[in-house]
Amino acid sequence: MKHLTDDDEIELMRLLHGELPEAREHALRERLRREPELAAAYARLEGAWQALELPPSPAAPPGFAARLAARARQPAAAPLSWALAPAWVRATAAAALVAGLALGVGAGHLAGRPVFDEAAAIGGVGGGGVVGAPEPSLAEGYWELLGDLEGSSAAVDGVHP
Amino acid sequence: MGTDSVKAAADDPGWEALARVAAGDTDAFTRLVECHQDRLLRLCDRLLGDPEEARDAVQEVFLKAYRKAAEVRPQGQVYTWLYRIAVNHCLNQLRRRKLVRFLRWDDPAEAAAAPPFDPPDAAPDPEAALASRRRWQRTRQAIAELPANQRAVLVLARFEGLSYRQIAEVLAITEGAVESRLFRAMRRVEATQERESSRVSRKEG
Repeated sequence: MKHLTDDDEIELMRLLHGELPEAREHALRERLRREPELAAAYARLEGAWQALELPPSPAAPPGFAARLAARARQPAAAPLSWALAPAWVRATAAAALVAGLALGVGAGHLAGRPVFDEAAAIGGVGGGGVVGAPEPSLAEGYWELLGDLEGSSAAVDGVHP
Repeated sequence: MGTDSVKAAADDPGWEALARVAAGDTDAFTRLVECHQDRLLRLCDRLLGDPEEARDAVQEVFLKAYRKAAEVRPQGQVYTWLYRIAVNHCLNQLRRRKLVRFLRWDDPAEAAAAPPFDPPDAAPDPEAALASRRRWQRTRQAIAELPANQRAVLVLARFEGLSYRQIAEVLAITEGAVESRLFRAMRRVEATQERESSRVSRKEG
């Protein structure tokens, strides 16, 4: 049994779509008569093609064109662009950006400094850390929180055995 | 205007109408829309698989055409140019839809299998109507599983009846590329159809 090549299949597709020149179409039809495997492949392709079916599409609703023409008459919204903004808007935006950056940098700088622990200062329950010590890492904080929760649930258990 | 443009303008009076649109003649625009609205609606519906989305897409396509009317150089037929705008718009829409599904973590297979709204079939026999609906659903699924560029070629060939040369013109690719995309599309379609028919026979057996 002869195996079909991609070229054979492409040729069959051209035949199906009426894209073959007359001489090539004639030659291929001759082959289809002689080669059952080729004929089977053509039948399969034709079947797959014909099976592609969709319902009729809905027509455009009445007045569609007129409504669209009215929409087209409306001036298109101007694209938003900094270049089109008045000078004072651009200056204000730039100032706000600089102020925001400065604030961010300042806050970051302060975050690195020792933090005053209000709870420790008033003699209440401390934050669990030494005042002035470097901030615990996220993982450390998580374990600490788990420890606190276990402690509190133990206390609750103690009250209500 | 080059010789091609002059020839194109002579071949298709639609270019003259488009020149009037470019000059701000909205009546000419209304006539242009009326002339092409149904075929563009059909094309967008086939590509997007959703009649509502297709209607919105056609509006956008015509508005783009209105805005670009002054820039276009007559070449071929007006409908080819409109088809190109429509195909590009729908392919962008499909990409956007894919991105939205990705961001929402939707299952693409589930989305493709979602039953769409189909108009009632005119067949008096309910069984025949049901069979039609099943065929439409299978076709929609087969189309939905194709990559966007193969989908466009298949829809233009199968449902718009365009020749390879016309498809090449619409998509601005070579006829060889049309052929190879169509070939790959049909391979996938056949695989989907086989998978579907074996699923049905398993269910029935």
